[in-house]
Amino acid sequence: MSAGAQPMLEARGLTRRFHGLYAVNDVSFTLQPGEILGLIGPNGAGKTTLINLISGTLFADQGELIFEDRRIERLHPYQRAHIGIGRTFQVMKPFPRLSVLENVTVGALFGFGGGERNRDKAREQARALLEFTGLDRRMDQNADQLGGPDRKRLELAKALAMRPKLLLLDEVMAGLNHVEVDEVVTIIKKIRDSGVTILVIEHVMRAIRSLSDRIIVLHHGEKIAEGLPDTVLADARVVEAYLGKRRA
Amino acid sequence: MVRAILLILAVVFLAAAPFFGDAVMIQYGIDALLFATLAQAWNILGGFTGYASFGNSAFYGLGTYGTAIAMAQLHLPFWVGLSLGAFLAVLCAVVIGLPILRLRGHYFAIATLGLSATLAAIISNLDISGRNIGLILPLTRNDVGFYEEALALLVASTLTVMWIAKSRFGMGLIAIREDEDAAQVMGINTTFYKVVALMLSAFFTAIAGGIHAYWITFIDPASAFDLSLNVRMVIMAMFGGPGTVLGPVVGSFILSAVYDALARSISTAAALLFGMVIVLAVIFMPRGLWDLGHGLRQVGWRYFLQNIRLHRL
Repeated sequence: MSAGAQPMLEARGLTRRFHGLYAVNDVSFTLQPGEILGLIGPNGAGKTTLINLISGTLFADQGELIFEDRRIERLHPYQRAHIGIGRTFQVMKPFPRLSVLENVTVGALFGFGGGERNRDKAREQARALLEFTGLDRRMDQNADQLGGPDRKRLELAKALAMRPKLLLLDEVMAGLNHVEVDEVVTIIKKIRDSGVTILVIEHVMRAIRSLSDRIIVLHHGEKIAEGLPDTVLADARVVEAYLGKRRA
Repeated sequence: MVRAILLILAVVFLAAAPFFGDAVMIQYGIDALLFATLAQAWNILGGFTGYASFGNSAFYGLGTYGTAIAMAQLHLPFWVGLSLGAFLAVLCAVVIGLPILRLRGHYFAIATLGLSATLAAIISNLDISGRNIGLILPLTRNDVGFYEEALALLVASTLTVMWIAKSRFGMGLIAIREDEDAAQVMGINTTFYKVVALMLSAFFTAIAGGIHAYWITFIDPASAFDLSLNVRMVIMAMFGGPGTVLGPVVGSFILSAVYDALARSISTAAALLFGMVIVLAVIFMPRGLWDLGHGLRQVGWRYFLQNIRLHRL
């Protein structure tokens, strides 16, 4: 990343406790415009909590969040959506009784800048995104009729419809087969090439290695490593966090 | 287009009806139109946003008393009374809505339950509202006039719901009903949307209360803040189809007709009717008459369980 560039997002000492237990503990990092940052760590490491803190689904107990020069840690989730933060949910949250097209239209109607005011225009944008994510065949089905992989695509399409500057992806590849993972990796790269900055949580190592410009590793709520994918994945502490002991 | 023409014809037919019917028919008509308006008003929050309000009988009571106080105590014209009642109800919706619309699902429903009893207690202790004795409004023998006013109000509330169903605002309400957390991170100011929906609901409910008060000419706290009225709104909207434009209207017309027919022959059966309707509607047709229109093809335990999951009742 070029020196002196204005970060897209900067976290300083983010902390969130649940009943005395630190889910996220004093985590700091920066995210440069156009970057894909991988976020990994064992189960319960605090990855989803960190995304919740950035999207506003949870408030931080301590710490600062700066998005494009602006403090955002006290903003409501909808306000963060309006300034350009979009996310997917690991436990997917489709609008079950709305059609796939309507689901995505909601994102276009309310996302960045408050969204598109005109419902027909929003629907057109949604249609284009369904084509992009390969869901156009399922457009008129209700969201609760979709299978797992299509629900993942729907999560992605809904977040994209918000036209975010920063996209937070929480395990959009979990449960997908090899072919589907490759498809989603291609889609995410295309999204980045269109100018979107991305923070991605993923357990599929092959995917995270090929996607990420940098990786940060969380363990017990703390950041234990940060750097280039190959370096970080070879780091002794990271291996230990995942496997519990040093490999022979 | 065909639908619009049919709707206009239906309104013209309803508007012309009192000039051909007898006095009793007109009175049934006023009742049915006001009930349909109440169901439609409840539908704005309950049907589209998924928040079941039991506070609408409080808005109804405020509309009733606003009109009665203005006319009986202050000797102001009817329209000033309606405005006062509507103002009080909308104000109450904002003041009450901001804190309790943070509660979700049945917690919200329970929190609204006490509202009308509380307001009834306050009204019963104020001189201006005639304490627990009530108020008598100036007598006007113009049932056709009341009928047309009730019809106009029903049309206005239905046009509002029609707009909601097609608008960006309505999409926001529906998204909140379907998944509030997702709605929020997608950029919907959920608190604002819910409060506005409650305000609209309160507005139409209060006007209906005001028209009813002037028509019936005598009001007291018990009848103005009657919780069973709220239960009827819920049943009628649920039966017709919550979250649809015409469902609550059609549903309440049908139930009013059945209720009145039963009340004339076997009055105890009429009281049982609404209880049975709510049980059957929840189990077999959670989307109301829409389900019936699709032939109840999915009746059975699986559909029942699926409905419970989706509707979180």
